[in-house]
Amino acid sequence: MAKKQVQIRHSRHNMDYVLLTVVLFLVVFGLLMIYSTSSYEAGDKMGDSAYYLKKQMQSTIIGFVGLVIMIKLPYKHLQKFDLMAVFVSIVLLFLILTPLGVTRNGASRWLDFKIISFQPAEVAKIGVIVYLASIIQKLETLGKNVIRTPKGLATIMVPPAIIAALIYIITKNLSSAIIIMGIAVAMLFVAVPDYKWFVAAGVTVLAAAAAIVFYVANADAASSGFRLARIRAWLDPESYSTDEAFQTLQALYAIGSGGIWGKGLGQSMQKRGFLPEAQNDMIFSIICEELGLFGAMTIILLFVILIWSCMVIANKAVDRFGSLLVVGVMSHYAIQVILNIAVVTNTIPNTGITLPFISYGGTATLFLLAEIGIVLNVSKSCK
Amino acid sequence: MKTVNSTARRNMTVQKRKTFIVCVLSVIALLALCVRVGYLMIMCSERYSEQAQQLHERERDIKAARGRIIDSTGAVLADNKTVCTISVIRSQIEEPERVIEALSSTLGLSEEYVRKQVEKRSSRERIKSNVDKETGDVIRNLDLAGVKVDEDYKRYYPYGELASKVLGFTGGDNQGIIGLEVSYEEYLTGTKGKILTLTDAKGIELDGMGERRREPIAGSDLHVSIDINIQKYATQLAKQAYETKQAKSVSIIVMNVNNGEILAMTNVPEFDLNEPFTLTAQYEGQEVTQDLLNQMWRNGCINDTYEPGSTFKIITAAAGLESGAVTLNDNFSCPGFIVVDDRKIRCHKVAGHGAEDFTHAVMNSCNPVFITVGLRIGVDRYYDYFTKFGLRQKTGIDLPGEASTIMHQPDKIGEVELATISFGQSFQITPLRLMSTVAGLINGGTLVTPHFGVMAVNEEQGTIEEFTYPVTEGIVSADTTDKLKYVLEQVVENGGGKNGYVEGFRVGGKTATSQTLPRGTGRYIASFLGFAPANNPQIMALAIIDTPQGTYYGGQIAAPVVRQLFENILPYLNEIGYQ
Repeated sequence: MAKKQVQIRHSRHNMDYVLLTVVLFLVVFGLLMIYSTSSYEAGDKMGDSAYYLKKQMQSTIIGFVGLVIMIKLPYKHLQKFDLMAVFVSIVLLFLILTPLGVTRNGASRWLDFKIISFQPAEVAKIGVIVYLASIIQKLETLGKNVIRTPKGLATIMVPPAIIAALIYIITKNLSSAIIIMGIAVAMLFVAVPDYKWFVAAGVTVLAAAAAIVFYVANADAASSGFRLARIRAWLDPESYSTDEAFQTLQALYAIGSGGIWGKGLGQSMQKRGFLPEAQNDMIFSIICEELGLFGAMTIILLFVILIWSCMVIANKAVDRFGSLLVVGVMSHYAIQVILNIAVVTNTIPNTGITLPFISYGGTATLFLLAEIGIVLNVSKSCK
Repeated sequence: MKTVNSTARRNMTVQKRKTFIVCVLSVIALLALCVRVGYLMIMCSERYSEQAQQLHERERDIKAARGRIIDSTGAVLADNKTVCTISVIRSQIEEPERVIEALSSTLGLSEEYVRKQVEKRSSRERIKSNVDKETGDVIRNLDLAGVKVDEDYKRYYPYGELASKVLGFTGGDNQGIIGLEVSYEEYLTGTKGKILTLTDAKGIELDGMGERRREPIAGSDLHVSIDINIQKYATQLAKQAYETKQAKSVSIIVMNVNNGEILAMTNVPEFDLNEPFTLTAQYEGQEVTQDLLNQMWRNGCINDTYEPGSTFKIITAAAGLESGAVTLNDNFSCPGFIVVDDRKIRCHKVAGHGAEDFTHAVMNSCNPVFITVGLRIGVDRYYDYFTKFGLRQKTGIDLPGEASTIMHQPDKIGEVELATISFGQSFQITPLRLMSTVAGLINGGTLVTPHFGVMAVNEEQGTIEEFTYPVTEGIVSADTTDKLKYVLEQVVENGGGKNGYVEGFRVGGKTATSQTLPRGTGRYIASFLGFAPANNPQIMALAIIDTPQGTYYGGQIAAPVVRQLFENILPYLNEIGYQ
C-alpha cells in the first residue's frame, strides 16, 4: 500500500510537462489563428466574426475534459478495449449511412446525436491505436515470433485495413484512410524486428507513385479522372488555377507573400475571401502569410518537439502496451503534420488533411487532446 | 516463460530502436518541409507576392493630360479641360439622405435616380461624369463621407471651328481620331496613372489598408507652324467666298516656300471640334451617319484630288525652260486652237492670242503655246520631269489620309494626253501637291515637305524633339527658278493674275479655272496660286473655290481672295520678322 503511494507520487513527478506546455501553446495558438483566419469570412457570412472561434473553443473545452480523464484513468484499462475499439469504430462508420448521418459541404462524414455531433473517422484513429497496441502486446505474450506468422500479421493488419476501407467507401475521405493505414504500418514496423519487408514495401509504394505521376504527366488531359486531375494540378498549379489547383495556388500566394517576417498577425489578405475556409486544411498558409518564415519555422519546431517528446516517452514506458500506445499517437501526429504541410506547400497532391491542434475541427481537436492525455498518462509511470 | 521474457526484452530493445527511427524519419521529413517552406517564402516570394498583389488590388486608371497643340504665336489650339466624375462608395456612406439630397441638387439629377445609385448594392457606383470642375469642387467641399470626386481630362478646343480639319479631335478614350491629333498621337498621349486599392475577394475595397498611386505622365505639347492670326484671317476670307459665291467648298493654304511650314490651312465649311459628332449646317435635315461625318471631317486640301488646270502651266513652263525646249523670248502664234494628232484643242480665247512670245503666252495662259511646249519636250522627258518634281508621290505632310496623284501610266501617254497634261488636265493631284511642287520650282529647286509639326515639348524634359522633314534639292536650276519668278510676276503685274496684285509688294502667281469631273456639268473650280515677294519668294498662298455660282474664273474670284490675304498678312509677317 505504502509502496503504491510512493509510486503514484513518483509518477506524478514524472509527467512530461514540456509536452503538455507545447500542446497548450499549440492549442492556444490554434485558437488565435482560427480567429484571425476565419473572422473576416465569418463576419461576412455568419454575422459573427467570432463564430468559428466560439465553436472551436467549445470543442477545445470538451477536449480538455477528455485530456484530464485520460490522464487520470490508468492507461492499462485501455488494454481491455482491443476488439471493442474496432467494433465501435466500424459500427459508428456504418451509422453514417443511417438517418443519423449528416452531410456537410457535400461530404457525409458526420454523425449527429443531437447533443453532440462528430466524425467517426476521428474515433476510428484512436480506436485503431488502442486496438493495435493491445493486440500486439497480447500476441507477444503468446510466444516468440507469433506476430511474424501470417496469422499474426493478419490479426494486426486486417482490422485497420477494414476500417480504412470503410472510411474511404462510406465517407470518401481518402486522407483519413491513409492516416489509419499509416498508423498501422508504423506500429507494425516498430513491433517486429524486420526491416527488409518495410524497405521493400516503401520502395514499391514510391515506385508506384512515381509511375502514376509519370503516366499523368504524359497522359492526355481529357482522358483521366478526378484523382488524376489532382495530380496534374499538383504538377502545374498555375495552369489549373481556376479549378483543381485553385486552393493550392491561393495557399501558395499566401505563403509566398509572407516573406521572412510576415505581414503581421491579422494582416493576411488571402483570408479575405481569396482562400476559402482558410481556417481548415490551409491554415498553415495563413500562418506563413501573417507570421512569415519565422512563424512557420517556430510552428514546425514545436511539432518536432512534440514528436520527439512522444518518442522519449515511448522509449521510457514501463510496458510494451504503453509504449505502443505512444508510438501510435506519435505516428498519428507525425503523419498528419507532415502531410498537411506537404499539401499546403504543394509538395504532394492536394488531399484534405488538417493540421493537428491548429486547424478548425471539433472532433479532431477532442481526440487529439484525448490522445495527448494517454501519452501524458504513460509518461507518469515512465522509468 | 524465461524465453518469452527474454524475447520480449529483446523485442523491446528493437522496438525502442525502431521508435527512434520512426521519430527521426518524421523529424527529417519536417526539416525537409522547412526547407520547402523556406524556398517558397524566400525564393518564390517575389513571384507569388506579385501574383497575389494583382489578385488583391483593383486598378483604377488616372487619365494623363494630353499634350496641348500650340501655334507659332503661343496660342493654345487644343487644350484640356478638367472635368470630374462623381461616384459613391456604399460602404463608406454615413448619411445617405444628406448625400442623396446634396448630389441631386448640385448635379441637377432627379432624386430617384441618385437614390437608386446610392442604395445599389455595389462597391462603387458612378453618379455622373463630365461634371465641370467648379461643381466638382463644390461637392468635394461638402466633405460627404463615401462620395468620391475624381478629376479627369477632356479635350477642349478654345477656337471651336478654327483649323478643325487640320487639328482633328479626340475620342472617348482621349485618342486622336483625325488630323494632327492622330499624326502626333505618340507625342500627345500621356501615360496613364493608376490608383491601386486593396479589395477582398468580392472586390469590396478594404478600409484603412491604404492605396497605391502611380501618377500619370502628361503628354508632350505639340508646337505647330500654324499662325493663329493668319489662320483666322484665311478662314474668314474662305468663309466670305464660300458664302458670296455659294460654293461647295473653299480652301486656302498658306505655306512657307523655303521650309514647307504651313501657316494656315482651311477647308470651309469647317466643323466645331468641341462637337465633332454634330453635323454642320450644310447637312441640315440629314441623319447622322458615319459616312456623312467622314465627309464633314474631310480635308479637301489633302484628302481630295482635282485637275489643277492652268496653275499647272507653271510646271510645263519649268520643264520647258529647264529642258531648253523653250525660252522666254520664243515666238508663238495662237489662232485660238491647235490640232494635235488630228484632234482640235481650243484655246480659252476663241479668237486666239495671235503672235506672242513665251512670256506673254504665260501671262495669257495660252493653251496652244503650252501644248506646243509640251510636245517639244516629248512624252518621256515630260514624264521624267513630272516624276522629278515630286508630282507622282504624296507630299508626305504630317496629316493622315493624304490622297495620291492619279496619273496616266507612261506607256499610255500619247500626244493628245501629253497635250492635255501640258495645260493641267487629264490627271489629278491634291491642292497641296501642286503647291509644294511650285514652291520647289520657285525657291531655287528644293522640294520641301509641307508640314505643321515643329517640335514636341515636354513639361519635364523640355524640347524632346524638333521635327525634321525630307528635302530633295536640285529639282530645277537656279536659272529656271529666276525665269519662272519673272514670268509669274508678269502674270500678276500685267497678265491674267492682275487681281492678285498687292500694293507695295512684289507678288507672283498664276490663275486657273478648271472643270470639275465629270466634264460638261458646267461646274468649275476657280483657283489662284500666289507668292511673295516675287523676287525672293517667302510665302505662298493657294485659294481654291470649288463650284462657285456666277462668275467662275480664277482670275476674277480666286485671285482677289489671295490679294486680300496678302494685303493683311504680308505687312503682318514683316512686322513679326518672319524669316
